[in-house]
Amino acid sequence: MSIQKPGYKSLYLYLSLSMAPLFLAFTPLQPAYAEEIKNGKQVYEIGCAGCHASGVLDAPKFGNNADWLKREQQGFETLVKHALNGFNNMPAKGGNPAYKNEEIIATVAYMLSEAGFPNYADRTGVKAVTTASTPKPAEKPATVAPKSKPATATKSYKNTNQFNRLMAPSSEWNPPQSKDGIHDPENDGTEMLQKPRVAFEPLANSTSGNRVDWVKALHNGEINPRYDRVNPDAMPVVMDLNIVREVKGSMPNVVYPHKQHTEWLDCSNCHPAIFIPQKGANQISMASILLGQKCGVCHGKVAFPVSECRKCHSQAKTAKK
Amino acid sequence: MSIKILALSVLLPIIMFFSTLSQAEYGDVVINNYSEEAGMRPVIFPHWFHRIRFRCKVCHADLGFEFKAGGNDINMLKIIDGEYCGACHNGEIAWSVESCNLCHSAKPGTETQVHESTISKLLTNQKPAAASTTGGTKK
Ligand code: HEC
Ligand code: HEC
Ligand code: HEC
Ligand code: HEC
Ligand code: HEC
Ligand code: HEC
Ligand code: HEC
Repeated sequence: MSIQKPGYKSLYLYLSLSMAPLFLAFTPLQPAYAEEIKNGKQVYEIGCAGCHASGVLDAPKFGNNADWLKREQQGFETLVKHALNGFNNMPAKGGNPAYKNEEIIATVAYMLSEAGFPNYADRTGVKAVTTASTPKPAEKPATVAPKSKPATATKSYKNTNQFNRLMAPSSEWNPPQSKDGIHDPENDGTEMLQKPRVAFEPLANSTSGNRVDWVKALHNGEINPRYDRVNPDAMPVVMDLNIVREVKGSMPNVVYPHKQHTEWLDCSNCHPAIFIPQKGANQISMASILLGQKCGVCHGKVAFPVSECRKCHSQAKTAKK
Repeated sequence: MSIKILALSVLLPIIMFFSTLSQAEYGDVVINNYSEEAGMRPVIFPHWFHRIRFRCKVCHADLGFEFKAGGNDINMLKIIDGEYCGACHNGEIAWSVESCNLCHSAKPGTETQVHESTISKLLTNQKPAAASTTGGTKK
């Protein structure tokens, strides 16, 4: 199974020099004994988990059958070739040219077998002959049953003291549908849906909700949603009327802007069902908003979430007008 | 009254804490009043995708969608007669109903709700880790 082509050596050399920082970032535990031939699991944990455990850069996620299904269909040879040579954001050999080709081949097989393709399980070790003939004294527990829980040791060690324990890192925002927990990855329609990240790429961003600042996106003309189902030229009747609601305590006053709302909504969406159209006529409190009433009919569900205190509480009390 | 204050003081910190643990896209609505009983996957309506193309007013004023997940008693007959999703998914404005699996795309068992909402985060004890623990034994 030699897929080696001429010219690799120089490519690796080039890569290893130009991408050295990347290697350092992703392979913090450089193999101390480069001579030893590692099995798929060992290589994976050190050289590949950095990207494939979390799926950053849209790398197919370890153990996720849906992520690997289409790729597996390309054939093992192709996958190995991509793993050896690199492929889009996938660096050649995961960015570590020190790995031997057999090791990478075993690793691809290991990743496939752990993603629910058990027929690769017998290829996850490196040829028994090689390892048997050169037994190393201080060897790590060598052959690992392919079905054992993957990467637990390394992963939990790495993750115990990660910077954000509860807050999702930005790499996990806007996951593709197949990983979002509600779409069925087995459904053939799921893969056809547009990935949120692709759609949001050109839009003004924010740190909550869809991670899109919809007001800015609209204002900047990054989106041009129709105001009428069929007529793309219909324009909203925008009303620019601010209603200031004074708040007791330390929180800044709430400024309710009709402008941003009438860009999106019709008067009948709010009046009279949610709000009597008269300044001060409506009892509004944070508790009711949190429970999905008043402003909380939309905010906390589709419009920006309630955690964005400052967007509503925007008027400093000293600067009252 | 005191209940409200209690609710506020308990809920606020929780919200600020959990508001960033995200899974489904904010505003995704799962509709499952009838689908699963009828042997179909539940429906997922993505707000983000539609609001790039339409203002809220088109659906919530012109087409009469109530602001309530599952609150519109939608079924396929209404859709093929041009109501609700069928006002657009008719082969003219958007692809038509024969692409069942684009709408009926949720995991079986997913309940009717708007996802990532403040309320669902407070009431259902959503686990943040679901996506990161997709074990190797999916099939
Ligand atoms: C720097 C991050 C990174 C590292 C480290 C990494 N990968 Fe990848 N890998 C990716 C990305 C991103 C993709 C998806 C590429 C694409 O499809 O555009 C990918 C895709 C793959 C694929 C599928 C290729 C295909 O044709 O669909 C295989 C197989 C693979 N990686 C194996 C490995 C192995 C083995 C290692 C460790 C030696 C490794 N990867 C390390 C990022 C990485
Ligand atoms: C006001 C018009 C309109 C209504 C009402 C509407 N849609 Fe859509 N929908 C669209 C348009 C336009 C597209 C994009 C079509 C295309 O890509 O060709 C779309 C696309 C979609 C998509 C695919 C998104 C993607 O990733 O490509 C889904 C799923 C969907 N709609 C579900 C629904 C459901 C479920 C309903 C009813 C609850 C509904 N839609 C109601 C106009 C509408
Ligand atoms: C997103 C919801 C929403 C929409 C849409 C909306 N309003 Fe209002 N409106 C409010 C709120 C909130 C108040 C303040 C009520 C209060 O202070 O108790 C208000 C107050 C008013 C008032 C009273 C002003 C005053 O000084 O007493 C008028 C008049 C009014 N709205 C008209 C309209 C018209 C006309 C439209 C459509 C062009 C519209 N509103 C759209 C939420 C909305
Ligand atoms: C019927 C739905 C609805 C209701 C009710 C509603 N909003 Fe909004 N609001 C929106 C939408 C849609 C936007 C556009 C931004 C977005 O989607 O995140 C918006 C935007 C805003 C903005 C503009 C933020 C910016 O970046 O400029 C403020 C402030 C705001 N809302 C405050 C309120 C307050 C205060 C209330 C209650 C008095 C309220 N909203 C009630 C739907 C609503
Ligand atoms: C969607 C707009 C909106 C957002 C977001 C928002 N608030 Fe409010 N808040 C209001 C409104 C409206 C009132 C009622 C003002 C009044 O009394 O008329 C209020 C009132 C309050 C009060 C006074 C006590 C009460 O319950 O009425 C406090 C304290 C408060 N908010 C804190 C917060 C904090 C902290 C956040 C961020 C987690 C926040 N708010 C986010 C709209 C908002
Ligand atoms: C545009 C989106 C959309 C498409 C396309 C679509 N459906 Fe539906 N369907 C819905 C919605 C929304 C409901 C209501 C869901 C609920 O309450 O469970 C529904 C409900 C159903 C139901 C249960 C209620 C009833 O009417 O019996 C069945 C069965 C069903 N759909 C079958 C299908 C089949 C088969 C197709 C393809 C030919 C299809 N659907 C295509 C959106 C869609
Ligand atoms: C293409 C049509 C469409 C557009 C555009 C649209 N919605 Fe919706 N919305 C829906 C549908 C469908 C539902 C779910 C109704 C059901 O389950 O019966 C819904 C539900 C809701 C709910 C109820 C969530 C809950 O259960 O509490 C809110 C709030 C909402 N939408 C706000 C908005 C806002 C704000 C906008 C504009 C930024 C908007 N929607 C744009 C179709 C649309």
